[in-house]
Amino acid sequence: MKNDAMPAALVKRRAKRDPAALGLGIYVVLFMTFLLLPIIAVVVVSFSASTFISFPIQEFSLRWYERIFEYKPFMNSLLVSLQIAVASAFFGVLMGVPAALAVARSHSAWAAAVANVLLAPISIPAIVLGFSLLYFLSALAFGISFLSLLITHTVVAIPYIGRTALAVYRAFPPDHEEAAAILGASRWQTLRHVTLPMIRPGIFAGALFAFLISLDNLPVSFFFGTANTNTLPVVMLSYMQNQFDPSIAAMSAVQMLIAVAMLLVVDAVYGIERIMTAV
Amino acid sequence: MNRERVGPEAAATPRKSWRYRLANMSWAIPALVFLLVFFVAPLIGNIVRSTTEGAAVTSGASIYYQKLLFDSYYSGVLLQTFKVSLITTIACLVIGYPISYFMVRYAGRWNTLIVFCLIAPLLTSIIMRTFGWNVIFARRGLMNVWLMGAGLISRPLDTLNQPIAVYVGLVHVLVPFMVLSITSVLQGIDIGLEESARVLGASRLRAFLSVTLPLSVDGIATGCILVFVLTNGSFLTMLLLGGGKVTTLALLIYQQFSVTQDIGFAAAMGNVLLVFALLCLALQARFVRRGGIKT
Repeated sequence: MKNDAMPAALVKRRAKRDPAALGLGIYVVLFMTFLLLPIIAVVVVSFSASTFISFPIQEFSLRWYERIFEYKPFMNSLLVSLQIAVASAFFGVLMGVPAALAVARSHSAWAAAVANVLLAPISIPAIVLGFSLLYFLSALAFGISFLSLLITHTVVAIPYIGRTALAVYRAFPPDHEEAAAILGASRWQTLRHVTLPMIRPGIFAGALFAFLISLDNLPVSFFFGTANTNTLPVVMLSYMQNQFDPSIAAMSAVQMLIAVAMLLVVDAVYGIERIMTAV
Repeated sequence: MNRERVGPEAAATPRKSWRYRLANMSWAIPALVFLLVFFVAPLIGNIVRSTTEGAAVTSGASIYYQKLLFDSYYSGVLLQTFKVSLITTIACLVIGYPISYFMVRYAGRWNTLIVFCLIAPLLTSIIMRTFGWNVIFARRGLMNVWLMGAGLISRPLDTLNQPIAVYVGLVHVLVPFMVLSITSVLQGIDIGLEESARVLGASRLRAFLSVTLPLSVDGIATGCILVFVLTNGSFLTMLLLGGGKVTTLALLIYQQFSVTQDIGFAAAMGNVLLVFALLCLALQARFVRRGGIKT
C-alpha cells in the first residue's frame, strides 16, 4: 500500500526473500494446514465404506450419503434449520436495517444506547440466551414451538445485520441523500433509490452472516428440541452421542455444501468482493 | 466485533449546520421493542429465576450463588473456566499474531488465499470441526496412523478425551477471530514507522518490539477479549473432545439442563457467565479506543 514510499533497499531485500519471511511463510502454510485438516478429514471419512472410523480408508462408497437421506430426523431437522435460518435473517433485516439507519448518523446519547441494545445479543453467551428465552417464552405460552425458535434466532440475527448495515451506512457521506432531498425526492424515494442501493452490500453480508450463524447455532437451538423443532445441529449432537459412524461426516459435508452454495448464490447476485469489503 | 463507534468521527466533520437525516429515531422502534421484550426481559427473568426457584425458596435467595462461589467443586469449575479461557486466549494470540503480521507485511497476492482459509471454517458447522478432531485424534485416527507409520510411536496415543484435545479444538475454532482482529489494526500501521526505526539503527526485533507491537495493542486487546468471551460460552468442544476431563461453567449449564434439571441453579450459573461477559465488554469499552474489528 505504501510501495512508492518504501526505501529502495527494502524493496531489494524483499525481492531476495529474506530468511525471516521464508520462515514465517512456512509457518503460515502449517497454520493453514491446521485450519483445513479437520475439515478435509471429515470430507474424506464421509466417503468411507466402513461402519467405524479407521485409517487408512480401505474402501470408498456413498453409503453414508444414502443413509442420511433415509434417516428421517436428519432431513426433517435440516428443513427446520433452513426455514429458521432464512426466516430469522429476513426478520432480522426487516427490523435491524431501519434501526441501523436510525442510529447511524445521530449523536445523541439515546442513539448510542439504542445502538448498544441493537448489538448486544452477540456479546451474550448463546447458551445463556437460549436458556433464558426458553423459560421466558414458555411462561408467555409460546411454549417450545417453531415460533419460539424463530424469535430466538431473530434475536441473534439482528446484531449481525445491524452491525454490517451500520458500518456500511456510516462509510457513506450524507451528501447523496442530501442531494436527493434537495432535488425534491420524498423520504421513501430517497430510501428506495439512494440509500438502500448504497448499503445493499452491508445488508447482504449481514444477512449471509445471520443465515450461517443460525444454521450452526447449537447453543441456542439446543433448548428448543422437540420432534417438530429440532434443528440439524441438535439432531447431529444427539446422534453423535449415541453412535459414531461416518453418517455424521456425510451430513456435515452436505451442510457445508449448502453454506458454500449460499455463498455462490450471493456471489452470483452481488459479487463476493463487495460483500467481503462490507464485512 | 460488536462495538461500533457512535459519534466521535462525526464530531470532526465541518458542516454541522444542516445535515440531512433520512431516518429518525422512530425507525428503531420495532427492533428496540423486539429486543427489549425478547432479549432484555428474558435476561432479567433469569435473574429472578435464580433467586426464586428450587432451593432458593427454602434456603434463601442467594443459596445458588453461595454454592457456586463457596462449594469447593463449583468454585473449582469457575476457576477451571477462567483457566481454560485464559490458556486458549494466550494460545490464539501466540499462534495468530505471526499470521496477521505475515498477512499485512509479506503476503501480497497470497493474502486472498489466507483470508479464504480463515473464513472457510466459518462455512462449516462447529459439529463438523469438532468431529474432524475426533477423526484425527481417535485411537485409529489419522494422527496415530501417521505417527505409527513414520515409526515415531509404537502404540497409539490417547489424545482424545484429554485436555489437550479440548485446547486444540478451541484454538482451531477461535484463532481466526484473533487473526482478523489483529490484522485489521496492523493494516492501519504505517510501515514507514518500523522502517524509520530500522534506519535509525534498531535491530529488526527491536523495531518490532518497540514500534509495531505497541501500536497493534488495540487489535490484540480486541482479539483477546473476543476469544476469551467466546471460550467462556463454549461447551460443545469440552463435551465432545474433553471426555469429562474439562468441566467449565457453560458445560455445567448444559448438564444441569439436560441431566439434573435444577433450573434455578442453571439460571444462577448463566448469570455468573453473563457477568463474566459484561466485565469483558466493559474492559473492551475502557481500553480499546479504536472501535470495531472486521470479521
